Amino acid sequence: MLALMNYTESGRVRVSPMESVLRDILAPVQGLTMSLGHRLRGLVSFPFTLYNAAEENQLMKKKVDDLEKTVRQNNEISSENERLKKLLDFKTTVAPAVGFEVAGAAVIGRDPGNWFGIITINKGTSQGLRPNMTVINEQGLVGRITSVSGNTSEVLLITDPRSGVSALIQETRAPGMVEGVASFPGQVRMVHIPVETETSKEQVVVTSGFGSMYPKGIPIGWVQDSGREPSGLFNSAMIVPFVDFNRIEEVLVVTGSAAAQAGPDIARLPHPWGEGILNAGEETGLVVQ
Amino acid sequence: MRLLFLLLLMGLAIFFQVTLLNFFPVFGVKPDLVLMIVVFNSFLKGSREGALTGLLGGIFIDLATGSYIGMNALALMIVGYLVGFTESKIYKDSAIIIVFLVWMASFLDQLITYILLYFMNVQISPGVALLRVMLPTATYTAALVPFFYHRFYSSNQDGFLRGKNI
Repeated sequence: MLALMNYTESGRVRVSPMESVLRDILAPVQGLTMSLGHRLRGLVSFPFTLYNAAEENQLMKKKVDDLEKTVRQNNEISSENERLKKLLDFKTTVAPAVGFEVAGAAVIGRDPGNWFGIITINKGTSQGLRPNMTVINEQGLVGRITSVSGNTSEVLLITDPRSGVSALIQETRAPGMVEGVASFPGQVRMVHIPVETETSKEQVVVTSGFGSMYPKGIPIGWVQDSGREPSGLFNSAMIVPFVDFNRIEEVLVVTGSAAAQAGPDIARLPHPWGEGILNAGEETGLVVQ
Repeated sequence: MRLLFLLLLMGLAIFFQVTLLNFFPVFGVKPDLVLMIVVFNSFLKGSREGALTGLLGGIFIDLATGSYIGMNALALMIVGYLVGFTESKIYKDSAIIIVFLVWMASFLDQLITYILLYFMNVQISPGVALLRVMLPTATYTAALVPFFYHRFYSSNQDGFLRGKNI
């Protein structure tokens, strides 16, 4: 026995013939048994796995819900950041260049009906706002303040049928009056354009400042279509506003004017402001020194 | 109590019209939920209560608008009064009928408002008024009726809105 123990000590390289035969015979059976064992284990543990899977599924669903919520919140924050960044860019580049002192405000409500274009903003007399102040955003003219309370103001949009803005076509310098068409946000109308001037599609319309409470040179929109007024004495044109009135969430109120500063190269100001000022020239009074 | 709930409901409707519904415009317009409540109530309770809820709902809208106080009150009172005549004449369980009724009422309300605006010197071309305000508003408002009518009806039968006429 001792000799056998000594012969089969660990570290030997060769196995005995009897062991070899036994191993070879048993190998397939061992393999089959092991495979069966694996399957059996799977079968026995299946209900437990299912229970775990259900629990895991609930957890995963909750995680997915949480992640989706986070993604939605992030998208909202990102979109707000983008809007605020545009406004801030405008406030720090365009506004000083054209000599505007502006105050930011958020839109907190709109007219409950469909006839008028009125928005309510979250700044009022406490923040120094007064009736007839001009309201703009980085895209162009929004409207003017009609009434104020301590912390809110009502803004009459240029799309309101009661709104009238003295304007001119930038290229031809033809004057006219821009008025709202019901509260329809996608169009305003320019009337009383002299017939001698040619009005064509995509010409830019800016505020003229003639006898108006709006400062000169603020972009309003572009000409979509034009024709003769029924009286035959003037032309009129349908204007697509630069401002997207359906999505307006923040605005800037022009609280005062200052001497235009030597800011960035005027040609580099964002559309439509840069071109508006560039082409309006000295007439607008908004020329960068 | 019933009046209080109606006022709360109309207050909530105006709050949504001033805020949330502006994010879901269809053809540039939002639905008129206050009118919907006025029509539902008139249809279920008759002319007298219809005129009263119309008047109150209209005053709410006028105050929210902040101009031409009384214009919406007058328009909605007339609409509420007229819709009330259908109270005992039409089968109340059918949402289809009420969809049609709300469409007609909304169109009439917008028409009265348009006429009143004309006399206030707010002149809007008839084509624009019809195609961009009246028809889209009436259609959008009527399209929402199936989502709200049965709730209002059951609340009127055995919910918050049950009880005697105001």
